[in-house]
Amino acid sequence: MVKNMEKKKVGQVTLDEKNEIQTLFERKNGLAELSKILTADNADLYEKLVKDMGETSTKFQNWWNRMADKYKWESAKNGNWEINFDTCEIFLVCGTECNCNK
Amino acid sequence: MKPYLQYLVILLDDTSVAYCHADNPLKERNLMPIETLKKAILFGMKQNLMIQYVYPEYELPAEYNEVIESIDNLKIGRDVKVTNEVPTAVDCDNIVLRIKIKDLIAKQYDIAALLPSVKRMNICLTDIETFKDEQIAEYKKALNTLSTVIVNLYKEQKHPQLNILTDRLTLKEMHNCEAGIGNITIAPNGKFYLCPAFYYDEKTGVSNKMNHKTKDASRSVGDLENGLCIPNKQLLELDHAPLCRNCDAYHCNRCIWLNQKLTWDNNTPSHQQCVIAHLERNAARDISAKLSKAGYNLPEIKEINYIDPFDVKEEW
Amino acid sequence: MIIQDLNDSWQAGTAKNITFIVTKDCQLACKYCYLVGKNETERMTWETAKAAIDYILDHEEDRNFKQESVVFDFIGGEPFLEIDLIDKICDYIKSEMFRRNHHWFNSYRFNFSTNGINYDSEKVQKFIEKNRTHLSIGITIDGTKRKHDLNRVYKGSEKGSYDDVVRNIPLWTKQFPEAGTKVTISSADLPYICESVLHLYDLGIKQVNINCVFEDVWKEGDDQLFEEQLMELADKIIDGGKYEENACSFFSENMGKPLDCKLQNNNWCGAGRMLAVDAAGNFYPCTRFAQYSLRDKEAWIIGNTKDGIDENKLRPFLTLDRCTQSTEECKDCEVAEGCAWCQGENYDAAKTHTVFERATAICKMHKARVRANNYYWNKLYRKLELEGKREEFEQNKPTNKTDIC
Repeated sequence: MVKNMEKKKVGQVTLDEKNEIQTLFERKNGLAELSKILTADNADLYEKLVKDMGETSTKFQNWWNRMADKYKWESAKNGNWEINFDTCEIFLVCGTECNCNK
Repeated sequence: MKPYLQYLVILLDDTSVAYCHADNPLKERNLMPIETLKKAILFGMKQNLMIQYVYPEYELPAEYNEVIESIDNLKIGRDVKVTNEVPTAVDCDNIVLRIKIKDLIAKQYDIAALLPSVKRMNICLTDIETFKDEQIAEYKKALNTLSTVIVNLYKEQKHPQLNILTDRLTLKEMHNCEAGIGNITIAPNGKFYLCPAFYYDEKTGVSNKMNHKTKDASRSVGDLENGLCIPNKQLLELDHAPLCRNCDAYHCNRCIWLNQKLTWDNNTPSHQQCVIAHLERNAARDISAKLSKAGYNLPEIKEINYIDPFDVKEEW
Repeated sequence: MIIQDLNDSWQAGTAKNITFIVTKDCQLACKYCYLVGKNETERMTWETAKAAIDYILDHEEDRNFKQESVVFDFIGGEPFLEIDLIDKICDYIKSEMFRRNHHWFNSYRFNFSTNGINYDSEKVQKFIEKNRTHLSIGITIDGTKRKHDLNRVYKGSEKGSYDDVVRNIPLWTKQFPEAGTKVTISSADLPYICESVLHLYDLGIKQVNINCVFEDVWKEGDDQLFEEQLMELADKIIDGGKYEENACSFFSENMGKPLDCKLQNNNWCGAGRMLAVDAAGNFYPCTRFAQYSLRDKEAWIIGNTKDGIDENKLRPFLTLDRCTQSTEECKDCEVAEGCAWCQGENYDAAKTHTVFERATAICKMHKARVRANNYYWNKLYRKLELEGKREEFEQNKPTNKTDIC
């Protein structure tokens, strides 16, 4: 058992791969904040937003699945992977009840 | 060699003929006082400068002639004819044709027809600031028309000079206007200016942008009493002009007045000036290639893929 | 998997900066403020803001707007005086970028420099909540109360603003733990540098971006006083172990060496690569070229929302390099590295109408800074080496963000 929020480097992606997820990450945030101001009154844009949110989420998750498959990163129950956009490093971050250092 | 002050341009009157890019907007006569003229000549003698008088259209009072001839000189508006219209024929060796771009394009054949009769023609475009990229093809065509005549004349061993095309053929380094560096202008008020255009701006109250409250228009860079004082003189020099120091449109006027007017910085040429100079440079390259085949031995002008050095500045 | 963004310095140096001068009004009348033409009348209208946004987004393919990322800056005066307008602007930018499939939708930020007085207002807080992942906000607090109140006083009175700002710092540092503050040093502030930086650290501000004003205000002996203050600060930071979590931009490892005119000839300042728009809808190469920022020279207007940008007026900025604008003394200077300039101050102080004349009023202050900076790093690294911690520090050291204006 480890303490709260243990963090361990488990891998690295290429610059192109980092750019891909960073763009998706930014877009996801942008869509989320846009959703706070767009309403169904603006039908065309609202529909476009909903569609884009779905597509972006899928692409986002696909990236992690694809990279995890490619690099075989260490994982843990209750753990999350994080990426550092400055260094392209991947970290395994554990909350409570995590076994990532074992 | 680094340019140094060699010429003193003396504007004899406010209405002296415009001979370069800038029109002279001054309509009222204001003859340089004869004592000022004498002092200007004395300054030129002491500084070892060649004197270039710029004449008004009217005849000067007789007493001026003796003073004027007290030193070797060139008379712009007399020895060098300046015209704002394309003449049907020329009766002098050396002519300055001041012309708008659209008129040059429209009258390219008339101008070409004059080339066999002149030793040197300086074409001076008076509305460079209006040049649009859409005019590039037309200007190229006009240059091609003039080039064809020049090549044929050279093949006949006749060598007329046309500043915008033939100067570049033999130049191996920048040879620009060099206002404030190679030459300086003195106006009827006894003050120095980088060139006549700066005097016109001062007289017509064009703000020099130095003080937003006073909207001051002064442009002088010294006077006959205190001598020359050119602030930031280094910015007139080629090595302080980032776009120009790497450029090989060696014949370009690199007009600092136009620079100041269009980019607000003396050392930075406008897009229009660069494009026009490069179209001329490339036309000179074509002439050079044809003349080389005809047996002339001219310095190589390289092929380039830009017409504005600004577009490739990162490569420098 | 839950993914977190660990990125705290965002697209530094590669994003387009677009500045909205939403108002020329401010609650304060700071004594060192370079904005000589502040007023209560020039407030941006929604129509002007919209026209500017439309122009900018319409020209996605122009070389002026092709950068991959964008930072929309909001300044004043005090920008949060116009929070309603700002909120409307940001909503419009977001929805328009999305509607147009503009490439900036994938990479944008909204950035604010505020005096912090109404940071906790309901409207500002609501705005922060709404745009949280795309915001960066810097509150300006100058240090201790006596240092802050020396300059940052209310308009129309000599009352200092420290108390009204400092009460918002905990909320701000909670919302933006990595944010830094901007401190400006003028001649009268010199005795308070050390205590002020330490005070800001104590307030929980980890990053202190501090710089001397570029204007010609420095008196005889100021450099010596400056150096003494920095030395004292160096000792306090090092002896107190504050270097592990905090950074102060006065101390930088990239400073104090000679520079080569061929290999190290970049311009310091980003003027011309930025775009500022004011209440009249005029465009500027940077906000420092708007009339309210200039003592003498006329504003350097490069266009407006109706006619667009006059590319010729940008050419001097985009061809500027370090050595062409520098004096021979600057070019030959043995400690040239890290010596900064402000293009707007250069222009304002120049003998002619040019951006190619470097103002050198800051020279002796830079040299004093270099001496203290050398002392700081020599002392710090020796300490770390003796403690066997140098390598660890090098890997984890807090870095200065390159915030220079």
